[in-house]
Amino acid sequence: MSDINELVEEIKQATDYQINRRILREKTITDLHVAYNNGLFLVKPELIAFLATWPNEELFLEDTYENPIKINRQEFLTQCQQHYQMVMNSWHIQHDELKRIRKV
Amino acid sequence: MTNLNASVKSRGVVLFAFNTDTVNYELIADRARRLITHTLDLPVTIITEMSGSQTNTRLGYAHGTQWFNGDRYRAYELSPYDETLLLDSDYLVLDRALLKILDTTVDYNIMTDNQNFVQTMTGNMGELSLNYVWATAIAFRKTHRSKMLFDLVGRVQNNYRYYSKLYNIRRGNFRNDYAFAIADNIINGYTASPGIPWTMLTVDKTVKALEINNNNIMVREDDAAHVIPKQSLHIMDKVYLQSDAYEEFIEQICKN
Repeated sequence: MSDINELVEEIKQATDYQINRRILREKTITDLHVAYNNGLFLVKPELIAFLATWPNEELFLEDTYENPIKINRQEFLTQCQQHYQMVMNSWHIQHDELKRIRKV
Repeated sequence: MTNLNASVKSRGVVLFAFNTDTVNYELIADRARRLITHTLDLPVTIITEMSGSQTNTRLGYAHGTQWFNGDRYRAYELSPYDETLLLDSDYLVLDRALLKILDTTVDYNIMTDNQNFVQTMTGNMGELSLNYVWATAIAFRKTHRSKMLFDLVGRVQNNYRYYSKLYNIRRGNFRNDYAFAIADNIINGYTASPGIPWTMLTVDKTVKALEINNNNIMVREDDAAHVIPKQSLHIMDKVYLQSDAYEEFIEQICKN
């Protein structure tokens, strides 16, 4: 095999950083979902900020399935904060790992 | 104090496996069972006996090969569990995300969004038709509404020529993805219900190898390789799923 063919083959076999990055982000979004009181929520900064500033301890929030779910504000806020931190830390570690093994 | 009257709901996974001339689906399902047991710690029921003679042929992937895909609607009656994950045996369960669905009160939830490494694989059943779903992964609990869904899927299957005309379906052969999309649309008041709220990752090319390294999986295809996080995967390459290399991959996963 000529040098150029070998090079083409190597490049094809090389991992594509942008694709891997996108797949990792999708997985992170999956992981950011959390079940609470029979509902399912995607934990985002907006949700955490909303819970942190809402004045009452009890409220209803719409979940992923478009159902109103009864929320204990402090309990859910704590759960969301912990979950968010854990998932985002994991994303950061795995993202660094992807950068390290980046080939093309 | 423990309430002895409290009902404990059973939870498990159901797989269908009907061998064809070219694919040993029972082997693939048994391998899927090992991954599921390891990852989800749930019991698995594998259904291997067909209710009647079925003939179907793949039109897309593995074009022209035998395909026994017709009994999926019987999952409701055949599942011994109150809460069931109904999965294709080519869906590799490598994370616990689907358990979150069972922690909610939805009657059923079907995978709708799918992508391969290059593009989205979500589409419609015909140019003037609805989007189809991916019956590869369905979560359901035994409720009246879920029973209606599965009964209706059976009805669509048994009258498929009629429904394929009614819904302007592009292809002629029966697909569970289409039957569940139609049934869901009807039951939900002629709109689609919210699907599983994340995207399935499908490898639709020939797989040369899967390798696990810490929390990453390397997917080697013929002309590319991808590093992805440890996550559930839909692998279409049945040759790979029957190979010794896949057996070794499972052993590696189950060792950790």
